[in-house]
Amino acid sequence: MATQQTRRRSVTQTHERVAQLGWKRSYHEPVPIYDTRYVFPDKAKDPMKQVMRDYLPMQLEKDERVYGGFDAALRAGMPTKADERWLQIMKPLILILVYAEGAAGRCMSVVMDVVPNEELLNGYHVQFVDEVRHIGMQMNLARWYAKNTPDPAGWHKGQEYMAENLFTRAGVNMFSHSFTGDPIAAGFTMMTVIETAFTNVAFVALPDVATRNGDFIQATTYSSVQSDEARHISNGYATMLTVLQEPENIPLIQHDLQQAWWIVHAFVDPFVGTIMEYFSTDRSDEESYLTKWDRWIRDDWYRSYVEQLGKMGVDIPPAMFERARERLVAGLHHKTAPLAFATWPLAFWKFDPLTQTDFEWFERQYPGWYDEYGATWEAYAALADPEENALLLSGLLDGAPPFCFTCMLACVLDDDMCHRTCQDRHGVERTRFYCSPECKWLDETNPGRYTGDRNYFDKHHGKALSEVIVELGLLRADGKTLVGQPHLRTDRMWTLDDIRAADLQITSPNITTAEAMGLPCGSWHDEGDPFGAVQGDGNGFQPVTLYGGGGGTNGDGRNGYSLDDLAAAAVGSTPWVKL
Amino acid sequence: MAGEVRAGERRQRRGEDPERQFQWVVPKKRKASVYEDLTLDTQPSVHRFMRNGWYCSFPDGRGTWDDASTELAVATWSAFRDPNELWERPYYQQGAQCEKEIDAAVEGARAEGLNAGMPDAWVEFLRRDGQVTAFVEHGIWSIATRRSRAALSDVLTHGIVLYAAMKQRQAQAHVIHGMDLDQDLGDVTIEAAKERWLQAEAWQPTRRLVERMGTITDWAELIVVSGLVVEPLLGAGLRRELLLRPALANADPVTPVIARNAQREWAWWRDFSQAFTEFVLTDEEHGAANRDIVERWLASWEPEARAAVDALEPVFSTAPRADFAAGREAVVIDQEALKAACGLSTEVPA
Ligand SMILES: [Fe+2]
Ligand SMILES: [Fe+2]
Ligand SMILES: [Zn+2]
Repeated sequence: MATQQTRRRSVTQTHERVAQLGWKRSYHEPVPIYDTRYVFPDKAKDPMKQVMRDYLPMQLEKDERVYGGFDAALRAGMPTKADERWLQIMKPLILILVYAEGAAGRCMSVVMDVVPNEELLNGYHVQFVDEVRHIGMQMNLARWYAKNTPDPAGWHKGQEYMAENLFTRAGVNMFSHSFTGDPIAAGFTMMTVIETAFTNVAFVALPDVATRNGDFIQATTYSSVQSDEARHISNGYATMLTVLQEPENIPLIQHDLQQAWWIVHAFVDPFVGTIMEYFSTDRSDEESYLTKWDRWIRDDWYRSYVEQLGKMGVDIPPAMFERARERLVAGLHHKTAPLAFATWPLAFWKFDPLTQTDFEWFERQYPGWYDEYGATWEAYAALADPEENALLLSGLLDGAPPFCFTCMLACVLDDDMCHRTCQDRHGVERTRFYCSPECKWLDETNPGRYTGDRNYFDKHHGKALSEVIVELGLLRADGKTLVGQPHLRTDRMWTLDDIRAADLQITSPNITTAEAMGLPCGSWHDEGDPFGAVQGDGNGFQPVTLYGGGGGTNGDGRNGYSLDDLAAAAVGSTPWVKL
Repeated sequence: MAGEVRAGERRQRRGEDPERQFQWVVPKKRKASVYEDLTLDTQPSVHRFMRNGWYCSFPDGRGTWDDASTELAVATWSAFRDPNELWERPYYQQGAQCEKEIDAAVEGARAEGLNAGMPDAWVEFLRRDGQVTAFVEHGIWSIATRRSRAALSDVLTHGIVLYAAMKQRQAQAHVIHGMDLDQDLGDVTIEAAKERWLQAEAWQPTRRLVERMGTITDWAELIVVSGLVVEPLLGAGLRRELLLRPALANADPVTPVIARNAQREWAWWRDFSQAFTEFVLTDEEHGAANRDIVERWLASWEPEARAAVDALEPVFSTAPRADFAAGREAVVIDQEALKAACGLSTEVPA
């Protein structure tokens, strides 16, 4: 209810005055807890400005619309009208996106810790508040689905499952890049790549699929999220223009932006591509993921953003970008999807077998699709009934590709898969597989970054599938029916007994592939570590020997690389991978 | 996690559909609140469900989150709750309400010509020092927002972020008020206020204190120092004793609305900090060690905070109807009461 008078307050003048709040410290300089290799010019580029007097009512109004929408959706009977196949995949999708929101917020905090330019700080902070909003709205969406949709199982232990799931844990890994390590590199990962390139896919294209499948509450929520992204993209651009002013940052930008691009692509493209195309029942959209990608990522981002940076001295070789597209063309998500479906007993949602209508749609979008993948999908559908007493996973796991040490997804493209061996902290030689030379490059140039028990199947190697299901708590309230199911029916649901009858022993493709190739051990699981990790982290971190160096130069086994060493390794001594 | 009552089990006994509940949420009361459902475990942890450790670490060996980010230790950080359960929706409702009330006060003052009723000496005070507190709030904002990320649970991080957001709102409210006064009365500039902040002797101990807060590297220290020392002594001293009380006495139509809203937000942070302190002091295993650390922090910050307040006497003396001695006594009593409520000794460190 702003009045004539108050409304006449000049926006420019308000910003000018508010910008005066920063001052140069005289008594104590701020002490950062994160390190950056970047240097900063005196004068930063201004991002889009935001003053709380306008910001708060604006966000409140958007919130009211979203939360009001939930009641409307209930009155309209949306929970039972929305497509079930779609509702199922919301379980992992929403939860990993909630993690992404938290990552985006925390990204702001690390960036603020090192960026000295007052002009930029307010924008970052307002974004963190936005991200808290996004978490609230999306958890509310999750809660609403849990309370109201026909099959809530999976939501009930959603955050527990999310942390351990084959696919969402790879998302945790990827989004964590946006608030660990060098804050500016983290900032590029979140603001320049995830938000500028991919939010159109996640928050515009996906809600469109939702609407087509009768789920308009997802669309309402995510459109509201997306309405904040313009400011976040502006933060990213201002950050970029600011660091660009210092010539010594240029090689760092080139390096970090490529790495950011790659890790985001390596997770988002197979993950979102699979969700959009394999979990939509509605087939009215004749635009494939690849076509959308060309529009949002290639045209709107790469060509109109990344290429334009060339004019400002940032030379990003097109190889990285073209390679990502080639991988999509080569079937990155089409080869990932069958693996996702085959691992249904380990999932916390149900999968719906593809139908004739789906086959036709895929064939129209990707000519030759049926010849290549049809048989797998026919087999999947045929084995959906527990009466068949067989799991597609049995056949698949033997020949399955190993999982990538960097992006944690399967190395589905044979020509791209590569490996290296390195010593663990006990001096034991082990093999790391990578889905691509680029992922290998990321690992090589970021010593100590990739930690934890990373290869999904290593710790389950040799166990019965039923045992793993129990261990992961993937059972419904009756204590015997699986949460994950290979079909949407409410009858003929698989139980633990059915799984036992199918008698499947888990093997880790990382272990078996290394054996088959005559390589050193492919497992990175360590029974003796509290987190099962050969390469621990945080408390008691032990570095792996890289670059032929010794095991930690500080005498205590801790990583002795200085930031200068890392920067040198990043831009100089480790050349860009040959493709 | 050991010993925590699983929400799901509890609900099953009550016959609710367990698959429709977020079973990972361990409710503080009988039933999980919306706040708990929407907040808890949105920041995953290796002490909760990430059984494989952190996937992404810093080159110096710190994990995605790092237990050593604070000196304090507790059985499980995820057990801490904001007693007022603030999450995004009520945050925006309350924040927007603050701004609406201030705008309405400005509008009312203009419509009724209330600014003319303020004594000249009070207007002079507003010109000189009315906006200086904005720098205090802004300075606290800049460290709070930087330390939010390292905190070891979602509840803690969100709390610090929203606290920072309140600080920024408060700082900007002063600046916008200055603009409005400039328009109505003339000669109210942010430059003059900044000059006072940077140069005036009386403000320098305050500035030194706020700048020192920027050196805090431990997020828990930030909660304790802001919540138990700086806000109750200096923050409340400025908002209530320098601005709110005298402004009311001087028929100032807008300043009291600004100060009262900021005090309302402070009350939330006071409760949060108090609950946090009680939480760390009562931890079965680490409580005693935590008490030593918290007391060390208080000993390190209290003298400087008190000195900053003391140095403000000349500022108070130019604010008509402000009573420095009474104001100082009031904030000291309040802070001691707050410490006592936290279970801390109220002895003043030398
Ligand atoms: Fe977001
Ligand atoms: Fe964002
Ligand atoms: Zn990879």
